[in-house]
Amino acid sequence: MNKELEALITLQDIDLMIEESNEVEKLGFSITGCSELEKAREEIASRIKKPLLFRYERLRAKLKRAIVPVKNDICLGCFLRQPTSIGAKGREESELFTCENCGRMLYWLD
Amino acid sequence: MQNIELVNLFNENLFIADLKATSKEEVLGELLDLFIKEKIIRNKQIVMEMLHQRETLGSTGIGKGVAIPHGRTTAAIDVVIAFGKTDNGIDFNAIDGKPVNLFFMIIAPPNDDENKYLPALGSLVTILKNDKNRKKLQQITTYSELISILSGEE
Ligand SMILES: [Zn+2]
Repeated sequence: MNKELEALITLQDIDLMIEESNEVEKLGFSITGCSELEKAREEIASRIKKPLLFRYERLRAKLKRAIVPVKNDICLGCFLRQPTSIGAKGREESELFTCENCGRMLYWLD
Repeated sequence: MQNIELVNLFNENLFIADLKATSKEEVLGELLDLFIKEKIIRNKQIVMEMLHQRETLGSTGIGKGVAIPHGRTTAAIDVVIAFGKTDNGIDFNAIDGKPVNLFFMIIAPPNDDENKYLPALGSLVTILKNDKNRKKLQQITTYSELISILSGEE
């Protein structure tokens, strides 16, 4: 898998986790490692080239999810059908594709 | 969340009454393999990474022999819960330091328009805080027993 794509997904997964950590704590989980997780986040972010990282941050700020799953060729950010031609390449996870409609980065699930 | 909604997030094929795992790492791997086998997720590495990061934030071993590893990941499409149990307690760095023998793994998608994930997590914690429920769960051998306990029928 494309290392940068992998790092982007992990970065978003961590950001979602940080975002909900207060709610999760209220449910009865012990949240003790915020600073460790922040450190891990910075380490993951450092693996991503600056322009891509900026794009990620911008999309996150604007649309909440910067990278979204694609299932049955549908972008789950805006539900637009993606051209099947990019689906084959997208599934190889070697290249990063963007939804032409919503601008989010895409990750093929199937 | 109603018990029936919670039960609907479980899957008969994501059920292990006698885990082979003997360590925290192995438990996460063994439960995650069920999601791969059922084609619920495709990339194990990404989800494993997310679960590790979640443990960095704080152990999901909530005490009294229960752990609920959980998290959202871009590599998932739906909220799905796997169940695993072992007679031999596993060291999971639980908050009470005690070994864990009941495991519920919840994997959720990044976008969750129906808002199922946190309510499911909350319902599970409530059910598992009950001593009787935990005792019953430790005895089960079949999926239907799990479901009847979770739905409050037993
Ligand atoms: Zn889109």
